Amino acid sequence: MNTILEYKKIKRTGVLPGCLLGGCLAAFVPILELAVRSEQYVGISKPPLQIILQADWQMMAMLNMLLVIVISCMMYHSEYADNAIQRITTLPVREEEIFIGKTILLAGMCIVLLVIEMLSLIFCTLHWFGGADGAFIKDLLQNFGYSFCMLLPVAIISLMAASAWKNMWIPLGIDVVCVFMATMIPVKYFALSIFPFALPFQILEGAKAGKVVSYLIAAAAEVLLIGAAEMIFLKVRRSLA
Amino acid sequence: MNFLTLLGVELKKIRRSRILLILGIAAVLLWLPSILNAHLNFDMQAEGISPEHNFFIQGFMGMAWFMFPASMVIGTVLLGQTERSNHGILRMLALPVSTAKLCMAKYIVLLTLAAVQMAMMTGMYFISAAIASQTQDYEFLLPPLFVLKEVLLMYVSAVPMTAFFWMLSVCIQTPIFSVGIGLASIVPSVLMINTRMWFVYPMDYPFYVITAKYGELASNLTETEMELIPWLPVAVGFTGVCMAVAVVCFGRSERR
Repeated sequence: MNTILEYKKIKRTGVLPGCLLGGCLAAFVPILELAVRSEQYVGISKPPLQIILQADWQMMAMLNMLLVIVISCMMYHSEYADNAIQRITTLPVREEEIFIGKTILLAGMCIVLLVIEMLSLIFCTLHWFGGADGAFIKDLLQNFGYSFCMLLPVAIISLMAASAWKNMWIPLGIDVVCVFMATMIPVKYFALSIFPFALPFQILEGAKAGKVVSYLIAAAAEVLLIGAAEMIFLKVRRSLA
Repeated sequence: MNFLTLLGVELKKIRRSRILLILGIAAVLLWLPSILNAHLNFDMQAEGISPEHNFFIQGFMGMAWFMFPASMVIGTVLLGQTERSNHGILRMLALPVSTAKLCMAKYIVLLTLAAVQMAMMTGMYFISAAIASQTQDYEFLLPPLFVLKEVLLMYVSAVPMTAFFWMLSVCIQTPIFSVGIGLASIVPSVLMINTRMWFVYPMDYPFYVITAKYGELASNLTETEMELIPWLPVAVGFTGVCMAVAVVCFGRSERR
């Protein structure tokens, strides 16, 4: 119910076309890459999904992350812009519920993004690698489930940053600095690579099973921790205001 | 009101925005891994680049490809949103000030932010090179003139890109599109610098400048020539068009 309300709020802010366009842009990356230099990839004897993801996922993940950040900033910006948030605090609605509603909506948009990218991967495999069987579809679904889990911590932490500041540029700045940090983290340290903004760069294909499980646990723990932190933050802010 | 006063006013507006803090944090975070991994600079024999040059190039490459353009996008949000909240911009437009001047003053402020970030980066470079020299027992500091020349070149090459971001934020009212297009346009610059048409894509100029320097310093890499002839007219023309569009569009939606 809250999520539908949140959806109505941002319906006219251009977030939805932005989400679709961003998804198409990220989906265009592997198509472009394969169209320009397919001869480099077609000869490799690996599953096509692994080839495509290893070549292009870095860039796609970065685009996904940037889009999620901008959308989360917009979601709270539209509340703060004309002091709508003050009216909300006088309604019989808890701010925590609004945050949860926004999180669910943002998660839904992440799914939309990933589905668009999934379609493009199916197209690439059919067009350049010839044929996709049942195992491929199963692989693809698993991969995108994993990517979705890796994207969730970014979504929730950027929403948290967006909810904390009135002016949009501060959360945006913090998030972008964090993304930049994540691109510089060396991959060999596990403790550093569970930094929320570094998680979306992970791919399931070609990773060891033990590692996958630990990343999933890390992502789940981050979502819970950040969610709890946000609940406490909202309570404290309300009692201090 | 003359232009300098207007510029002073614009600078005052962002005085309490703490943007310098964010830029400073970004500069520190950028050089931190370089200091910690300073020993890796000695493994670059394959490219034929000396360790001190590699230290300099790697650090500035990290900045030129993402952090610097992204900071400029954030800067446009800062300049736009601080004034749009509580309708400050409406009051500014009601004053007897030419809107073109106002637009240009804000753009100059954006360029100033870029200059401040460059200066911070350079300062942090000297500090971190000094620290790395201490820890690795090897002289990482390059002559200041060499460093300053390169930084200045990067800064000047970033002017068309900044103009493009400024035009986006002036012309597109919904922040999601202006910010989204800005950030998304940064990502393909890695691909664009490798093509022969790199000069038609202003977002990759700073990255191209530093990559060209890398090719020049590393003896085993192919040298990328910086041909001024198609580049300079394209860059000047692009900046001109962006600024003209920005001046025309500035305040249009508010005046309706």
